[in-house]
Amino acid sequence: MIAACPATDCSMPPASAAPAATDDDADDARAAASGDRRAFQRLYRRHAERIHGAVYRLAGYDHARAEDLTQEAFVRAWQKLPGFRHESAFGTWLYRLAVNMALMEIRARRADPVGFVDEQQLPDRGETPFCAAEREELEQAIGTLPPRARAVLVLHDIEGWRHEEIGAELDMAVGTSKAQLHRARQLLRRALGAGS
Amino acid sequence: MNEFEWRQQMRRLREPVAPRRDLWNVIEAALEDCGEKAARAQIRQRASTRPWLLAAAVTGAFLLAGNLGLQVHRDASIAPASAPALADTAWRPSDPRLSGAAIELDAARIELQQAMHQSNSPSLQRLLARTERQQAQLRHFAQEAG
Repeated sequence: MIAACPATDCSMPPASAAPAATDDDADDARAAASGDRRAFQRLYRRHAERIHGAVYRLAGYDHARAEDLTQEAFVRAWQKLPGFRHESAFGTWLYRLAVNMALMEIRARRADPVGFVDEQQLPDRGETPFCAAEREELEQAIGTLPPRARAVLVLHDIEGWRHEEIGAELDMAVGTSKAQLHRARQLLRRALGAGS
Repeated sequence: MNEFEWRQQMRRLREPVAPRRDLWNVIEAALEDCGEKAARAQIRQRASTRPWLLAAAVTGAFLLAGNLGLQVHRDASIAPASAPALADTAWRPSDPRLSGAAIELDAARIELQQAMHQSNSPSLQRLLARTERQQAQLRHFAQEAG
């Protein structure tokens, strides 16, 4: 069985979505940029769970690592706020900053590299590695994936990023991102014991 | 399961997750630390700039004084001036590192003034103007350097 779908979550648009209270965010972001800690605390309260959720998934469902990343993201946001030009919603800016930090380690060590694979070379639909699973099983299996493959899977399949965005963020070709995604799905299927 | 169903399933994982503990206190402590570090870095930067400003001022003054001395000596038509007495209005920097350059510059300025009384050459006028500018610049550097 699949876990129940909260109404707000299923309709959530891809990565750049900003939560409500954008006006409050803009005011608080301006105040925080000029050193108002209380305003920054309000921003933290409004965004902590969303940010933590994203880095928690990217960190392979490791609570401790995700908490470190969340803290680092907010500290970095505080430092960078004076340079925030309000061209995007604060939530979007913060989300990108946090994801970027979570990916920094993966980018640096170039873990589990997969070479460029042309889209034509990927297996056809008969071999698609999709399988149903319980939420907990799925999360556990995602946590076992190699970091780079997991990052691509999380960003594409969960966070809704496009391969172009993933490629740019992880410094890899679009074809490599597709190959990593396919590999991640296969590994996931194997981990879930749905080999057939 | 097809790709659409797969994606539906995966998107359901995209939910906010509350950290197991409130992270604000740790973040706030880190912000305070950041503030202190930034302030310390600013002080360090200011302190490290000061000697460079002084060194630049002194070097610039000596270079110009040397240049002026050469040009004045090249002008054979001008009789060597007697050792110039420093004008009462001469600037005396409080920093001993600058006093040498200030004396050199003031002497050069006085020599040029004397030379101009004897021959009103345009190049001497330009040199005098440059010397005075350099003096002003040296005062400015000294003020900036504290």
